[in-house]
Amino acid sequence: MISLYRPGTSPLHRMPAGRKLLLIGVLVLAISIYPHTLWTLGIAVAVVVAGYLIAGQGISGLWRQVRMVWMLIVFTGVFQLIFVPWPAATITTTRILLVILCAALISLTTQTSAMLDAIERGLTPLSRIGVRADRIALLLALTITVIPVILGFARDIITAHRARGVRPGPRTFVVPLLVHTMRFADELGEALVARGLRS
Amino acid sequence: MAGTIAFDRVGVRFGEHNALSDVTITLTQARIGVIGLNGSGKSTFARMLNALVLPGAGEVRVHGIDPSAEAARVRRIAGFVFANPDAQIIMPTVAEDVAFSLRGRGVPQAEIAARVTAELEVFGLSALADAPAHELSGGQKQLLALCAVLITRPELVIADEPTALLDARNRRLIIDHLFSERVPQLVLVTHDLDLAARCDVVLRFEDGRLLEHGDPAEIIARYSEAYA
Amino acid sequence: MTTRTSFGGADLARIAVFAALIAVLGMPPAIAAFGGAVPITAQTLGVMLAGTILGPWRGAAAVLVLELLAFAGLPVLAGGRGGAGVFVGPSVGYLIGWIAGVIVIGLIVRADRRRPTILRTSIGVVLGGIVTIYAFGIPFQAGITGLGFGPTFLSSLLFLPGDLIKAVIAVALTLALWRAYPRAFGQTSRRPQASSDTVTSVNESAPTTPQA
Repeated sequence: MISLYRPGTSPLHRMPAGRKLLLIGVLVLAISIYPHTLWTLGIAVAVVVAGYLIAGQGISGLWRQVRMVWMLIVFTGVFQLIFVPWPAATITTTRILLVILCAALISLTTQTSAMLDAIERGLTPLSRIGVRADRIALLLALTITVIPVILGFARDIITAHRARGVRPGPRTFVVPLLVHTMRFADELGEALVARGLRS
Repeated sequence: MAGTIAFDRVGVRFGEHNALSDVTITLTQARIGVIGLNGSGKSTFARMLNALVLPGAGEVRVHGIDPSAEAARVRRIAGFVFANPDAQIIMPTVAEDVAFSLRGRGVPQAEIAARVTAELEVFGLSALADAPAHELSGGQKQLLALCAVLITRPELVIADEPTALLDARNRRLIIDHLFSERVPQLVLVTHDLDLAARCDVVLRFEDGRLLEHGDPAEIIARYSEAYA
Repeated sequence: MTTRTSFGGADLARIAVFAALIAVLGMPPAIAAFGGAVPITAQTLGVMLAGTILGPWRGAAAVLVLELLAFAGLPVLAGGRGGAGVFVGPSVGYLIGWIAGVIVIGLIVRADRRRPTILRTSIGVVLGGIVTIYAFGIPFQAGITGLGFGPTFLSSLLFLPGDLIKAVIAVALTLALWRAYPRAFGQTSRRPQASSDTVTSVNESAPTTPQA
């Protein structure tokens, strides 16, 4: 599975995942909570653009992220315009876009494996209330392993339908997919236990 | 040296269905073949050796260990290879998946890395160490599964139709590994009678019962005759 | 994952496999099977099915796993979305609602181990898969967009027809799966901590015959 990570050597890439999450988290909070005027919003835009430049993503990288959320932004903007005057609508819509772009910087500059490690470390203190961080980490790894297998099932079913001239619909597609998937789950569960998974 | 596998009046029920009834046998051979039709109870028999299925009646001992009481301990000495290579891979990359087998066994990190490297070498998977496991071919996946079992240095390997989904070349590779001296004792469930013939003893199951066991050639001849 | 419910190997496998299934339902082959309809349809259908098939706790765990992977930067949400950005946008409440919704669905539909009925499955899917998800989604959306509850509620009504269709499909699929593969609904090795070393075979504990 291709992650959203874009390799690089920028200061953001080199920063440890935990610290980066904290830093960008604070920035995201600041942008979302601060009561904006058009002026302060301009500053926020500058900060986010600077962030993308520092992260080596360039304006094109920024634009790619904007394009990924354009539907959401248009939807939000239109509804804002229906209910509030345009300056307020612009401020809110831009603020929402900035917050998303800002948080996306984490994913663009952090390898999935580093994020998974950070998640496991972040959950470890919760062991006191019974959360098993190691178990969750195993589940995340296991799911990453299994996604291509299930995707393969989906492709096989579509191919088989084509071969038989059946038009795939929710029922003819999802029921076989569910059966394949749950059967596979039983086999996988057995293998997990056989390979020494501890309770 | 092969250890002792002992079944004493063992029975297993799944709901209304008797999967296995009244099996009594003691095995000390190094290569044990298990044959029978689908649903004959041979897979249930194999699963009891690794505590995947526990006896409802009677007693099982695997190298002196009672799987009902010490499931974790029996799994440390007995590795299992399944038919479906996909369902045995747990971690995203080849090396991580092999390393997973050594988790929780008290093996130091540095030794894990060294043993993984060495084991991948043996199975010819070194070049694929960091490859996503799903990019492997079916045969390579099964080699990976066996690699992940042998890295634990098992006393016993149980294989349930390990070659069922493989082409001739990969079948050969898997069999060579299974019959190598690195597998001190092998319980091989198979529909492949040529393969069963290579064992020291063959067990034939039918309708949940151990119908007969003994010399591979004789057992296989009668089995073939029955369904010819 | 908690001291109260300890998941064994069979449970972990089901959780991981279902998380993967929900991810796949947001990918091109699945979308094609739905006639190229809005990708979100298939994926939230998967969320509903997690509740009806896996039950409340394993179902919620599957959705949580999917969301953690999205947070970690994998494009596992419908249409290739993912990353930390998703969790600060106006729809974050719906993602939280997915988890709560699966629990509600599971508690209603799987209250006992009997065959899921049309009536109870429908009630569960509507209360959990629509009402609960909206109950989390709308307040977050209202807060983030600053529009207030009323207008946000109105805007969310746009998605209601799609969600109702999805609910109908989820009910039909749940009942169809019960006929095709009742074992999918089996309780696996959930067991008390005290005997965590014992094993219950998957075969043994899953229902072998559907009860009428």
